[in-house]
Amino acid sequence: MHIVVCMKQVPRDNSVKLNADLSINADGIEKIINLFDEYAVEEGIAWNEKHGGKLTILSLGSPEWTEQIRRALAMGATDSLLLSDPAFAGVDTLGAARAVAAAIRKLGDVDLVLTGRNSTDDESGAFAPALARNLGWPQITYVGKIQDVDPAAKKIIAERNLETVIETVASPLPAVVSVIKDINHPRYPSLLKIKRVAKINPPVWSATDLGISAADLAPAATLSTRAPAPPRPKGEMISGGDAAAKVSALVDKLLENQVI
Amino acid sequence: MDFTAGYSMFLSAEHELLRRTVRDFAEKEVAPHIRAWDRSGAEHGEGPETRSHLMPILKRMGELGLLGICLPQKYGGAGMDYLALAVVCEELERVDSSLRVVMSVHTGLSSLSIFQWGTEEQKQRYLVPQAKGELLAGYCLTEPNSGTDAVAMETTARRDGDDYILNGEKIWISLADIADTFLVIAKTDPEKGSRGISAFIVERSMAGFSSYPLHGKLGVRAGNTGGVVLQDVRVPAANRLGEEGEGFKIAMAALDNGRYTVAAGATGLIQASLDASLTYAQERHTFGVPIADHQLVKRMISHMVRKLDTSRLLVYRAGWMKNQGTRNTRETTLAKWHATVSSFESADDAIQIHGAYGYSDEYPVERYLRNARGAIIYEGTRELQELLQADFALGKRINPPLRRELPAYNASEWES
Repeated sequence: MHIVVCMKQVPRDNSVKLNADLSINADGIEKIINLFDEYAVEEGIAWNEKHGGKLTILSLGSPEWTEQIRRALAMGATDSLLLSDPAFAGVDTLGAARAVAAAIRKLGDVDLVLTGRNSTDDESGAFAPALARNLGWPQITYVGKIQDVDPAAKKIIAERNLETVIETVASPLPAVVSVIKDINHPRYPSLLKIKRVAKINPPVWSATDLGISAADLAPAATLSTRAPAPPRPKGEMISGGDAAAKVSALVDKLLENQVI
Repeated sequence: MDFTAGYSMFLSAEHELLRRTVRDFAEKEVAPHIRAWDRSGAEHGEGPETRSHLMPILKRMGELGLLGICLPQKYGGAGMDYLALAVVCEELERVDSSLRVVMSVHTGLSSLSIFQWGTEEQKQRYLVPQAKGELLAGYCLTEPNSGTDAVAMETTARRDGDDYILNGEKIWISLADIADTFLVIAKTDPEKGSRGISAFIVERSMAGFSSYPLHGKLGVRAGNTGGVVLQDVRVPAANRLGEEGEGFKIAMAALDNGRYTVAAGATGLIQASLDASLTYAQERHTFGVPIADHQLVKRMISHMVRKLDTSRLLVYRAGWMKNQGTRNTRETTLAKWHATVSSFESADDAIQIHGAYGYSDEYPVERYLRNARGAIIYEGTRELQELLQADFALGKRINPPLRRELPAYNASEWES
């Protein structure tokens, strides 16, 4: 069985500083594996351990992403692939999905694609659906548990954690699955594997290797301006009466404003 | 900014991956609880009954491979080098000193001594389970009446057939109530001074062994420190480490490794003090500007940076020498002296930057100061390190070769 985990490198939230024009200051940003992708890596490793075969970490980004790829390899992934090309700079979610879909098609034998439900930098949550659409495969999003992966029957059963219900979905493979935090507890990299993977440089595929054109990568939307968030409106102090009366007044206000 | 960048003359990609892994572990599994663990040690003592948090964490450290980080894989270790040991200590003490203390006594003082001096049988019996974290180890040198003057120790080991009978008391023993094995230094021939001392691997389960926790320590309150009482403890001669009369050399060689881990940990504590100060100094405003804009705050920050980089460089030099198999007593003691004193000063400055908030445990910097203080005393006082440096410089101290040196790191051998 061949599982691919799409993994993105993102800034650690608390290391991000803004420039005067509200753009992100790239200096001193600490890079980590996107939180939700780390759960996807763990899930991929667990199913790879069960069924054998290959578990490929697939990333789109600059060569400096290698460190995060090595981390995933030290956790237990068997293979890696980096999509890197100056043409990918500034690519949006749809363009990234096109490039990754092209790579998965080129890999050829992929049974299952796992990824996080969204990235903690762009927060679009649209990558997995866009990837599935590009590949023409079924998508199962917001998965909190994968009940079974049956490579022989080409079938997956997974639970989607929706707002009020858990929906159990059966789907043919290959499929694209996006996972949430509840799905598992990611393991730490193995120190024994760290020594081995520290020297690994993932194969790199360029836009040309993928047969992707500039038009495929052009962002669907362009950034026109950045404006600061509007200032928070002034709060209101509830005064008068004892604590019970204040709480009662507060609850009335919250109900009135449909907060609760 | 990344203060660990720029050390590629010492460190490689594997050390960087290791650093991230240990940092994640410490931040996820220790940092959220450390204030409560530290408080519980102060309020309820450090006896085993209040140390329930330690065993699961030590078990995790064992599973991850941290406890045998620099030992060959054939002895249950992770097969990384001696610099990796420093990285682990740095990152653990960046969150709290109590876990670095475990690396110092378990890995630095005990396991590396067995690796350096032990027979193959001792390595199989003790080193392998210690490297895997299945057995926890302590180190017993200090006594109620002897510290820096270790040769004045009163604990004795009398030969009796195939055994030795050990009697005495050891104090300020990290993991006294928790460790399974102890490297105990005792006098086999009290008339011969330093040449009448031997080293023994003693198991807690041996009859006549008991331990007790100490109370009221200034720092490292999340750990366990206590005393060990040996009353007619019968230890098989097969558990003697090295030759009879070689114990003082073994104890001092152990300190070359223990002090290295203390120095590395102190570097992590400086890093923690600096990290906390950088954050706070940019958030806190006085006179209409962040306090980071005030020159005297900047001076404290710049001094921390100087102490951080110099400590780190000294530690990595010592680690590099260990990798080469070069004797490093001078370099290790210099690193230990400089890094521990610097860590206390840096924690003190960090409190100053935090103002009154730094004086309470609402912020971690007061814990850094309390934790830093002990390392200026244990594993060789500041004053002893100062005298050593002068004596080395004056040519009054030389290190004659040991019968067995700490093996040089060999990547292929460590991975086989």
